[in-house]
Amino acid sequence: MSRARLAVCALLTLAATARRASAQFNNASIGSTAEVVTVGMTITTLRNLNFGSVPKGVATTVLPTAAGAGEWQVDGNKNAFATITFTLPTILNNIQAAPGSTMPITFSATSAIWNRSTNNPAAGTVFNPNVGTTGRFGPPGTPTLYVWIGGTVNPAANVKPGIYQGTIIVTLIY
Amino acid sequence: MMRRLLAGAFAIASAAPLAAQGVLVAPTAVYIDHVRRSSTITLYNPNPDPAEVTISTAFGYPITDSLGHITLRTVAQPDSTLPSAAAWIQAFPRRMTIAPLERQTVRLLATPPAGLKDGEYWGRLIISAKGGKLAVTGMQDTSAVQVALTMIVNTNIGMAYRKGPVTTGVTLSQLAARIVRDSLVVSSHLDRQGNAAFVGMVHGVLVDSTGAVKAEFQGPIGVYYTMDPRYATAVGPLPAGRYRLRFALTTDREDLDPRVVLKAAGARDSVDVRIP
Repeated sequence: MSRARLAVCALLTLAATARRASAQFNNASIGSTAEVVTVGMTITTLRNLNFGSVPKGVATTVLPTAAGAGEWQVDGNKNAFATITFTLPTILNNIQAAPGSTMPITFSATSAIWNRSTNNPAAGTVFNPNVGTTGRFGPPGTPTLYVWIGGTVNPAANVKPGIYQGTIIVTLIY
Repeated sequence: MMRRLLAGAFAIASAAPLAAQGVLVAPTAVYIDHVRRSSTITLYNPNPDPAEVTISTAFGYPITDSLGHITLRTVAQPDSTLPSAAAWIQAFPRRMTIAPLERQTVRLLATPPAGLKDGEYWGRLIISAKGGKLAVTGMQDTSAVQVALTMIVNTNIGMAYRKGPVTTGVTLSQLAARIVRDSLVVSSHLDRQGNAAFVGMVHGVLVDSTGAVKAEFQGPIGVYYTMDPRYATAVGPLPAGRYRLRFALTTDREDLDPRVVLKAAGARDSVDVRIP
């Protein structure tokens, strides 16, 4: 059983617990309505975007279908739509060298993919992560969507050695 | 040679999938009553590593873009004409670390301004969870250039604050359907009625002349003002002939507590679809 499926099972337990807790809280309040947890949503980072070791002076691209692509799994409400947006870095910083050692990174119109239900980017829908898109959870039984992202780094010929890092923020709007 | 081997080993190790990172958020929409003025959400960390979580609020509501896709319109500084509750609903705590397999209850407290008129006020709740930490140690080749990015995941859900009587409804117009290659494409115009968002389900069924179902789609929808949604669903090859699309909006939502979903009559319509 995958970790996401375990999370869904945990959610069902949580839902029952939350229902009881909410009811207890409601008993202590005056004329209010209780909030009942029925369905939750989980965004799980399955893999960071990783370029590994890159040659100096040569642009290196990780395709969203590649093993080094970043990947998320989202478990939510069957058949529901969710907007996927990104906050993307333009510069990566060398965390080992002196401040100011940077490397540009870009994301093209085909750098991201989403797929409904199936953990397979090759069968997914390509989209521009700079723009975002609307994805859709799978049908009952597999109410999941997957998202992948790649990108291109352009290390200068005289780039300082070390580890370059940045942060990608993915937002699922439900 | 040894340097290359070590660098290669590092690259393989760092490319390996990390332990899954993420936080479960429930429910996926929050409703707060003016009498109670509070609610809760539950966060659960199903993973083996602690999760760093921050919570913030913003104003926004779903709209459709020029392609009919549902997206979110956000307004950083909503003026008095917009029913924003973002400024006066706060989450406690706003920052937390959730241990593995633990849950955290976050309380939402509303402090509405005095003299708030009856109606429904909206906001968005943004739950931000930091992803897995990169393995930054173990780099043996000091001349190598390594590149990796960390991930932060934001879950953006709706919240609504209700004061006094609230009603909702929706009108449906400009229903159109056509076959494009192997897909049924349906578009419509939706107008919200009343003083609260229409939160419900959309359901479309394509039937042939005998009434046999040839395609079907459904999904949740929230109409806050107006919307022009477009749905495309695969139908496969269909013989030439006359078909009928039945399209309906109802307030049946399985994912939300029935007590917070405003009941309304909904709307329905149908339209011919001809395949030459």
